Amino acid sequence: MEEIKKRSITLTVNDETYELFTAPNRTLLEVLRDELHFTGAKESCGEGVCGSCTVLIDGQPVRSCLTLAVAVEGKAITTIEGLAQGDQLHPVQEAFVTHHAIQCGFCSPGMILTAVALLQENPQPTEEEIRRALSGNTCRCTGYAKIVEAVQSLAGEGR
Amino acid sequence: MDKYAYIGKDMKRIDTSLKATGGALFAADLSFPHLLVGKVLRSPHPHARILNIDTAKAENLPGVKAVVTAKDTCGDKWGVFRYTQDQQFLPTEKVRYVGEEVAAVAAIDEDTALEALALIEVQYEVLPAVFTIEEAMAPEAPQLHEVYPGNINIHVHIEVGDLEKGFSESFRIREDTFSAPEDAYFQGEPYAVAAQFDPTGNLEIWMPNAGPHLKAKPLSNVLKIPLNKVRVRKIAIGGAFGGRSEISPADVICAFLAKKARRPVKIVYTREENTVATRQAHSMITRIKTGVDQNGKVLSRDITCHLDGGAYSSTGPIAVSVPFLCMEQAYRMDNVRYNGYRVLTNKPIRGMFRTHGRAFACGIDLQLDRLGQELGIDPVTMRLRNARQTGDYTPTKSYVASCGLTETIVKSAEKSGWKEKWGKLPPYHGIGIGCNSVQTGFPMGIRGGSQALIKLNEDGGATVITGIVDNGQGNDHMIVQIAAEELGITPDDVQLISADTEVTPSDPGSYSMCETFIGGNAVKLAAQDVKKKLFKIAAEALGVSEGELTARNRKIFVTQNPDQSMSIAKAVRTSLSRNESISGEGSYWPKVDAKREWVKNPFGQLSETFSFGTVIVEVKVDPETGQVEVLEVTAAQDVGFALNPKVIEGQFEGGIAMGGQGGMLTEFLKWHEGRVLNPTQLGYLVPLAVDMPKINNIIVETMDPNGPYGAKEAGMSVAMSAAQAYCGAISNALGVYFKEFPLTPDKILAAIEEKNK
Repeated sequence: MEEIKKRSITLTVNDETYELFTAPNRTLLEVLRDELHFTGAKESCGEGVCGSCTVLIDGQPVRSCLTLAVAVEGKAITTIEGLAQGDQLHPVQEAFVTHHAIQCGFCSPGMILTAVALLQENPQPTEEEIRRALSGNTCRCTGYAKIVEAVQSLAGEGR
Repeated sequence: MDKYAYIGKDMKRIDTSLKATGGALFAADLSFPHLLVGKVLRSPHPHARILNIDTAKAENLPGVKAVVTAKDTCGDKWGVFRYTQDQQFLPTEKVRYVGEEVAAVAAIDEDTALEALALIEVQYEVLPAVFTIEEAMAPEAPQLHEVYPGNINIHVHIEVGDLEKGFSESFRIREDTFSAPEDAYFQGEPYAVAAQFDPTGNLEIWMPNAGPHLKAKPLSNVLKIPLNKVRVRKIAIGGAFGGRSEISPADVICAFLAKKARRPVKIVYTREENTVATRQAHSMITRIKTGVDQNGKVLSRDITCHLDGGAYSSTGPIAVSVPFLCMEQAYRMDNVRYNGYRVLTNKPIRGMFRTHGRAFACGIDLQLDRLGQELGIDPVTMRLRNARQTGDYTPTKSYVASCGLTETIVKSAEKSGWKEKWGKLPPYHGIGIGCNSVQTGFPMGIRGGSQALIKLNEDGGATVITGIVDNGQGNDHMIVQIAAEELGITPDDVQLISADTEVTPSDPGSYSMCETFIGGNAVKLAAQDVKKKLFKIAAEALGVSEGELTARNRKIFVTQNPDQSMSIAKAVRTSLSRNESISGEGSYWPKVDAKREWVKNPFGQLSETFSFGTVIVEVKVDPETGQVEVLEVTAAQDVGFALNPKVIEGQFEGGIAMGGQGGMLTEFLKWHEGRVLNPTQLGYLVPLAVDMPKINNIIVETMDPNGPYGAKEAGMSVAMSAAQAYCGAISNALGVYFKEFPLTPDKILAAIEEKNK
């Protein structure tokens, strides 16, 4: 097998800068998990359907299994590990815990980050808008009811 | 004062903050110094004789540190029962399905491992294969195993009462056949296993499991090391749904690779491997003949079910029995015959699934609807007239200590507005109902009981040690909640050590819905054991009798005079200074009939208690597209007692998604000559947030006499009733009774066309 030539890249993850020497065909998910040990991003489907690998790139939810690490140099990458402030959970994390939106927890990091991005863009989404925004993230445990409730609890009255 | 401090209250789960921050580690998240990547070579043929396996080129590839084949595992076999030991961890003679493990490698990285797999040369002699129940049972069909003539793996025969008499007295008799293809578990987490040996030969291994002790024993057998050297470690688990119960060849392969390479090895399955090479749910063809009297009471029932089991036994005897047993629990049937056959085919292995047997359950419920239609009796009344009651015995002789089925039917009918809607909905609108019942454990040999230990510390905190495993349903919280309640301390005061075979005592595993009932009771008894010791000390110090004391808020106090108290920490310290034990032990063995056996003797107490559930669904069908819009779902279950109501609601909602929305509308595996055509998420359609309807949850509490605080189990009877309610509602909307599931748009459009002819 022909060796793919590695190159130096710089990634900014959760406000910290990492210098890496990696192959250009490595996905962001592979680099985050295997090289930087941000294992909160999960691989479930591996083909961009389930959303378990979601991270935020400049605030937008992105599937890290379909994103090359070299393509996000110079951008702000937020993983689930970067959301809480010390022991203080982010309000979306807190809402997921309080509303029983987490069962096995495998989809939770991606689901939470998608919800964070939704609320940033649309602070008062309706139930329908929440369901649509979360439909790129699959959950096999909850039937979504408590996940939607958790996000609704942060959405005020909705529109 | 409330009766309980924590039990019965909505509590945040102890494990979910860590899951919300990415701190919870799943098996694939583990890393170790010098970790190797393990990859498995799989059979490309559905049925073939292995003539030779040449691994020389792979072994010589730089970066490859170990290769294993059946030579390493010595052809050792696995089986849940002695009489079903038919699956070799790595096959010596034949492969029996596309995807079966043949060999494996451990290498320094994934690319090298994959390259090494390509260098392993396997010579096969391809054999004729069978892919359906009909093909497998045909005369002269190729045989998968010599020990199962005719490819009949398991036959369960149950006959109770006088069938002929029942049918001869019946006012109406119907005979129908119902079928459904295989469904997939599709856990969020693809299977993964990591293993390493320490210098003294102790194995440490991590994998999603439904019972660490269920994994440890076969590992001990195949590795030929004692159980105390097999340390199945606790790890976060991304869903099980019945599919993580047995030892996997991957566990054994990973351990052997680690042993040979003398380095840690991790195998992470792809989504496709998880679908094909863990377990699938059985496809089934069920023929049901039912006779009823003029009032709709079932007088006689004759059921024959064929299950496609794939290539090996797995949990075969249980899988054949459970669809019938659930229904004989849910509905009274005095005269009944069941013939269940598990048939072997050259397809992946099938196991027990959360919503096991949709074609079976839909058959029973839909046929009741149809008989009701002939009699002019609505589906709710049909069920009320046949519902199981407290104090009954099931046909196979299980006593039913508590049963709230009638209450679940009545309450869900009321909540869903059944009376106002049945027969009065506009065209293409429909409403339907399903009921079912599940066990809380069953006879599981030496693994049938659970044991727990509690150690108190001088600061008044406790360490609880139990084999109970949490697959995501919230068992860890359940344990801590019970221990805190009994000991009178807070959940934060409890440290949990669970599901680690190095230290935790035996437990049945999170299997057959037994953890709350059996494991929960064991933890409760352990806490009561140590509380008794604390009360002895406090009674002496406070000058009262032990019976007058209560433990709460980290204190032991006189119930009638709470100011008279002693801190738990002080009681512990007193005990320590007196050199008295301050640990507790509890063990719980359910009252089941140990002589009951799935095939040879399917009679006697199956489970100490049973849960009962009802689901009602209202739908609107688009006659142009065949799409089903689900307007509302009402789910009710007799859970015994709700230890943590929000957890139970979550189980109901998840059960509706998997059993109804997915199980009846979109989920099924497609095949071509033993190959799964839709193993990944692009092809296998699990429900999305936009798909899910509004769900009304109704928790019914019957206070089981022997469950911990009256609890039974938390939602399986809802999961097992959802498919029937969905198909009943669609049938009602169209005026067509379906016999093949799931009800995808093509089937719905064909039914509409046929009806309009």
